Amino acid sequence: MASTPLPQTGIHKSPRRRLRWADLREHLTGYLFILPAVLIIAIFGFFPIGYAVYMSTFRWRVVKSAFIGLDNYHKALGDWLGAFLFAGGFVLLFVTYLLWSKSTEIHENRKWILRIIALLVLAAGFVAISNGWERMIAEGDDDFLHSLPITLFYALGTVPAELILALLLAYILFQKIRGQEFFRMLYFLPYITPVVASAVVFRTIFSPRESSLANIILSWFGIKSQEWLFESDPINNIIFGTELQGFLAGPSMALVAIILFGIWTYVGYNTVIFLAGLGSIPHELYEAAEIDGANRWQIFRYITIPLLSPITFYLAIIAFIGTFKAFNHIYVMRVPSAQGTVDVTSVTIFQTFYQANQYGYAAAQAVLLFLIILALTYAQNKIFGERVFYG
Amino acid sequence: MAEGVRVRDRIHEREQVSPVFLRLKKISSRMVLYLILIAGAVVAVLPFFWMVSTSLMTLGETINRQWLPASPQFENYVDAWTEARFAQYFLNSVIVTLVTMAGLLFTSVLAGYAFGRIKFWGRDVIFTLLLSTMMIPESVTMIPNFLMIRGDIIPLPGGSWLNTLQALTVPFMANAFSIFLLRQFFIKIPDELWDAARIDGAGHLRFLVQIVLPISKAPILTVLIFGFIGSWNAFLWPLLVTTNATWRPLMVGLWTFVTEAGPQTHLLMAGAVITVIPILILYFLTQKQFTEGIATTGLKG
Repeated sequence: MASTPLPQTGIHKSPRRRLRWADLREHLTGYLFILPAVLIIAIFGFFPIGYAVYMSTFRWRVVKSAFIGLDNYHKALGDWLGAFLFAGGFVLLFVTYLLWSKSTEIHENRKWILRIIALLVLAAGFVAISNGWERMIAEGDDDFLHSLPITLFYALGTVPAELILALLLAYILFQKIRGQEFFRMLYFLPYITPVVASAVVFRTIFSPRESSLANIILSWFGIKSQEWLFESDPINNIIFGTELQGFLAGPSMALVAIILFGIWTYVGYNTVIFLAGLGSIPHELYEAAEIDGANRWQIFRYITIPLLSPITFYLAIIAFIGTFKAFNHIYVMRVPSAQGTVDVTSVTIFQTFYQANQYGYAAAQAVLLFLIILALTYAQNKIFGERVFYG
Repeated sequence: MAEGVRVRDRIHEREQVSPVFLRLKKISSRMVLYLILIAGAVVAVLPFFWMVSTSLMTLGETINRQWLPASPQFENYVDAWTEARFAQYFLNSVIVTLVTMAGLLFTSVLAGYAFGRIKFWGRDVIFTLLLSTMMIPESVTMIPNFLMIRGDIIPLPGGSWLNTLQALTVPFMANAFSIFLLRQFFIKIPDELWDAARIDGAGHLRFLVQIVLPISKAPILTVLIFGFIGSWNAFLWPLLVTTNATWRPLMVGLWTFVTEAGPQTHLLMAGAVITVIPILILYFLTQKQFTEGIATTGLKG
C-alpha cells in the first residue's frame, strides 16, 4: 500500500504534511488494533518469564522474604560442578553429532580421523554425564532430579511410537480407502476429548482390578493381572524378571500406562496432519516411479518418506516439546502407590508450588525446565533441520 | 528409452500372466489394510465404550464388572448432575467458555487485521515476539500469573481475583495462534477491495467490520472452535485459581470428584460423559472446519 506521491500543487508543504499525518494515523491505528492482544500476551505471557527468574532468586514461601541469589538453583542441582559436567556432557553429544555429519562430507583419509575424534568426544560426553549425574544426585533434590529421566522416558516412549503409528495409518488411509473420512473421524476422537475426562476414564481402564479393561485384554493372552497405574516397579524388571536399578531398568509400569495413554491421545492428530501432507505430494512422482518399476516399499522409502520429512520434523518437534510440557493427564493419572515414578518435571514443579508452597524454589525449577526446552528446541532444529528435504 | 520399453513390457507381461491371481492378491492385501484400520478404530473407540457402559452400571457392577450393565442405570446421570454438582460446574464452564471466546475473538480479529493489513513501525518484530510465546511452558508462567491474579504484584480492581470469572477468562482472551491464523487469511484479501473502500471514505475499522469480517467466516469459525476447546478443556490454571465451587469449571469439578468422592466409579464416568458431550457435539457439527483447520495450521508450522 505504498502511497503514491501527489502531484505538485501551488500550495507549498501542505500535501506533504497531510501525507505525514495520514502515515502517522496509519501507524497509530496499527498500535491501537494490536493493543488489547499485546497487553494480555505481554502481561500473562512475557512478564511471567522475567518475574519467574526474579522470584527464583528469593526465599519465597507464599510471601517474599530474603534474597538468596542462586541458592534455589543450587538446592535443585546439588552440585555446581556436577551440573556443569552434566550439561557439558550433552553438549559433547551434540558435538559428536556435528563431527560425525561433517565426516561424511570430507575426503576418505581424514574422514576416519574425524570419526575417531567423534567417538572419543562421545565417550567423554557419556563419562561427563554419568559423573555429573552422580555428583548432582548425591547432594541435590531427588524429586527434581529424578523427574528429568522420567520426563525423558515419557518423551521417548510416546513420540516415536506416536509418529510411526500415525504414519502407518495415514499411509493406509491414503490408498483410496473406502470410508477414509469415517476412519479419520474416529482416530481424531481421542485428541479432541477433554484430556481430564479421558485420563479419568483411563484411571479405571488401567486400574489394578482383575476386571479392568487392561487386565481383561492381558487375560486374552494368558498374562496375569497387573497393577498398572499402581505399580512403581520398573517395566524391564517386570517383563524380564531382572533386578536392574536406575536408568536401565526403564520407566515404571505406571509410567508405561501413562505413555500408552499419551500415544492413544495423539496418534489421531498426527494422522490428520500426515494425511494432509501425503495429499500435497505431486501425483506425477508416484506415476514416474511406478513406470520405473519401483515396488510399493521403494516408493514409500524413496518418495513418501523424504517428501514428508518437513512434516515429520514439525510433528516431532511439537510432540517432543509437548511431552516436556505435559501436565494435565499425568497429574490426573498419578496415584500415591506409584511412589512418584510418574512425576515428570512439570508435575514436580506443580507439587513444589501448590503442595509445598515453595514459590521461589518452584520458580527456579520452572526456569531450569524452560532452559532445557530451549536447548532441546535448538538441538532438534540443528539436527533434524539439516536432514529435512524441502521440495 | 529402451529401458522404459522393457519395463512397460514387463508390466504388460505381468498383467497377462494371471489376472485372477493378481486380483486375489490385490483383494487380500486390501483386507490386511482394512484389518489394520479397523484395529486402530477399535482401540480409538473402546475407551469411549468403556466410559459409557460404566456410567450406566450400579456401584456393585463397576467392581465385579461385565462388558455391559444388566440394566442401564440412567439415574446415575441424574445423581451426577444434581448431587455431584455437575450442573453447576457445567454452567460455570459454559459461561467461562463463552466469555473467553468473545474476548479472544475481539482481540485476535483486531490484531490479526493489523498484523496482516496495516503497516506500522516494528510490526514484524512484535509479531515474531508474539509467536515465540507459543513455546513457553505453562509451568513457568503459572507461578507469577497466580501471584498476579491474587493481586500480589500489582493492585487489582476488587483486590484478589481468586475465585472470580475474570481470573478464569482474561488470561486466555488473546493468544498468538489465533492472531496468526487470522493474519494468514486477512493478508490474502485483495488490495483492490481496500482501495475501493478507501475511496468511499472508509477507514480500517469500517473496512474490517463491513467487508473483511463477512468474507472471513471460515477462519473465524476455526478460531472460535479452538477457543472453545482450549477454554473448555483447561485444567491446570482453573485448578490454581478456583479454591471453592463458585466458579469451578467442569474439568476441575471432575477432578475434585475423583479426589473427594472415593470409588464411585459409575458416577464419575457419568460426569466424564457430561464433560465430553459438548465437545463431541461441536466436533460432529464442525468436523470439516475442524480437521482442515488442524491440517492447514499444522502444515504451515
